[in-house]
Amino acid sequence: MLNSPKTLLSPVQRQSLVISLTAFFTALLLIALFGVLLLISMRGAAYFWPEPVYLVSATQNNEAKTFYTNVYTDPASGEITLKYADALHPFGSQLRLKASAIHSQTLAAEAAEIKLNDGRRILASPRHIVTPASKQMALEGYASVASEVALISANIESINIENLAPIHEALAAFDNRNVEKKAPAREKLVAEFERYQKRVYALESRRDKYQLALQFADGQRLSIPLANVQSIDFVSKLSLWQKLKVFFIDIGVFLTDSPKQANTSGGVFPALFGTVLMVFLMTIIVTPFGVLAAIYLSEYAPNNGVTTVIRVSVSNMAGVPSIVYGVFGLGFFVYTVGGSIDELFFSDTLPAPTMGSPGVFWAALTMAILTLPVVIVATEEGLRRVPEGLKAGSYALGATKMETIVRTILPIASPGIMTGVILAIARAAGEVAPLMLVGAVKFAPTLPLDGEFPYLHLDRQFMHLGVLIYDGAFHSQTDGKSASMMFAACLLLLVVVFVLNILAVILRNRLRRRYLIG
Amino acid sequence: MLKLFEHNTLSVDDISEESTAIDVRNLNLWFGNKHVLNDISMRIPRNKITALIGQSGCGKSTLISSFNRLNDLYDGCKYNGEIIIDGRDINSRKVNVSRLRAKVGMVFQRPNPFPMSIYENVCYGLKLQGVKVRRHLDDAVESALKKAALWKEVKDRLFESAQVLSGGQQQRLVIARALALKPDILLLDEPTSALDPLTTLFIEELMDELKKQCTIIIVTHNMQQAARVSDYTAFFHQGRLIEYADSDTLFTMPEKKQTEDYITGRYG
Repeated sequence: MLNSPKTLLSPVQRQSLVISLTAFFTALLLIALFGVLLLISMRGAAYFWPEPVYLVSATQNNEAKTFYTNVYTDPASGEITLKYADALHPFGSQLRLKASAIHSQTLAAEAAEIKLNDGRRILASPRHIVTPASKQMALEGYASVASEVALISANIESINIENLAPIHEALAAFDNRNVEKKAPAREKLVAEFERYQKRVYALESRRDKYQLALQFADGQRLSIPLANVQSIDFVSKLSLWQKLKVFFIDIGVFLTDSPKQANTSGGVFPALFGTVLMVFLMTIIVTPFGVLAAIYLSEYAPNNGVTTVIRVSVSNMAGVPSIVYGVFGLGFFVYTVGGSIDELFFSDTLPAPTMGSPGVFWAALTMAILTLPVVIVATEEGLRRVPEGLKAGSYALGATKMETIVRTILPIASPGIMTGVILAIARAAGEVAPLMLVGAVKFAPTLPLDGEFPYLHLDRQFMHLGVLIYDGAFHSQTDGKSASMMFAACLLLLVVVFVLNILAVILRNRLRRRYLIG
Repeated sequence: MLKLFEHNTLSVDDISEESTAIDVRNLNLWFGNKHVLNDISMRIPRNKITALIGQSGCGKSTLISSFNRLNDLYDGCKYNGEIIIDGRDINSRKVNVSRLRAKVGMVFQRPNPFPMSIYENVCYGLKLQGVKVRRHLDDAVESALKKAALWKEVKDRLFESAQVLSGGQQQRLVIARALALKPDILLLDEPTSALDPLTTLFIEELMDELKKQCTIIIVTHNMQQAARVSDYTAFFHQGRLIEYADSDTLFTMPEKKQTEDYITGRYG
């Protein structure tokens, strides 16, 4: 009998040790995954959750002060961060104090968080409303006054769009044709322009008479135009239900508004739109491209060394760092292809580039090249799973090779193709680095899609959630609020990737059920 | 010997040119360097059932695949000699292979319905031929399914997936799919080897019915089956046609020793 007294453990013990070790690493993996999800969701959701406003009195640099403020306690160091507003910093500032420096802290029921249209916010106690009709109107009338102000704003907007803009365009056209300054037609237009402009000024000055009077904790006062106010929330007075309402309104604003204050406040709609549009364009480009290439490789290409080399290279392309594709996109698509298109078709606007500058189409094309190997490999896998018997059956009924591919092979391989497209979408939605070279920017003034011909402006730069997050990460040290906007954008990016994936998975499962081979 | 069907057959040497469906003349076929069919010459009679028997790899499946040029799909397949169908050599390059395959239907060992509805399966060949009128398709589907003795079982679920049918039903569906094109010749490559005995019997009866409309050539490993259903039988060994005779003669008084050994189960 062979005994093994030298080893410490019996075979059973060794076996269970191996199992525990592998299980331990699986557990670590799960913890890491849940940690990421939990952190992103908590910090992201915190961006929308209304924080109560406190009245705090504290000593700072041997000076006693009182603020309306949000209070954040750092449990590790015991220090307290105050995000406060006072007369010197009406739009908020940040202060880090020792717990001992704070004398009193009470919920301030009279204080409100006032969000402004430009994305800034004020923590103060609203006192009264000033209107052209009355010097001091109670806050209860806010809703009706706000709708009066909105009406005036709408008036100004309609004059701007319907009257001023066309005149401006007509004048610009005169300039282009070198019409004389004194020409009667031009003078008539200029006079009309001034007339409308006066009307706008009158409306604006009337609008500015609607003011909101605020008082800070130390008694100092501030008056702001009512037209700038987006919402007034008495956060400390809100019930849980009302807080939830504010929470969801904030999410709505986040999804539909544009970024403000250099991407530290406001919404992310243009970035969300840009991300989805880019992924969508990429899918449209990469799917036919990848599928056709895979069909050639697996059905038509002769089974020789060259084909093998091509296959291996395609697989290897999947491992090329994404920034390399970004550089390729910039060097080839933007400068070479775009530049040539400009020379051929848009030579009248040169040297200002039309297609020869980074834009959403070049970004989508670059991402398509980046995700192409994934689609090709998955499609080939799907094509290989089509049983030979089915192909033979199709040929035996008189089908040509192409008819067999279109009618039999492709439908059966479609779940495999969808798998490739899912992987491509997941990869493309998450990439940031190459996009920054070929079209994604921190702030784009216009969406790539609008009501102006040709509606989809493929040459325009676009905003991307990933770039927004990257940008937000640099603000994080100085301003907690924008840091949480970064987390909120992260959460949104995760949701976008999940939704795109789930849609594709549902589609794949439907195809799979339909073309089940059993 | 078990005899289910009556055959009244002529001797192979008396098959006239008019009653020949396929005339194979000196057919040689290679896969790469492998000589798979070696100088095959035989006349396959019209509206009869001809069985091809022999060991696995003796070339019988390759031979019927030559009748619809399915061997063209494999790389490295070369052939010479003539196969005359309807007075034309189908090995010629001028032949429209799609039209040939529509006229020479084929059924494989494993039922291979397409992952589509029963209706779509039967229409597949017709749609390839450009038939688009719904009424014509409906009529063709019904008549093909009736010929394949499947109509009664599936008429209420024509638009369900063909995958839910049983193995025997699938094989009949595949036969119906070929019949929808009204073929002159039906090639059956071990059509019952994946089916149970009762279903096999059912398909054999079907074949006897079908030979009124077309010539049937069946490859089989089942000696009883060959004896039961076929009018003529050809025995192959290592790519050569060893013996070809009417089935009664071949199974009772084979001329060659090899044939006798095979049909009595001494090897193979």
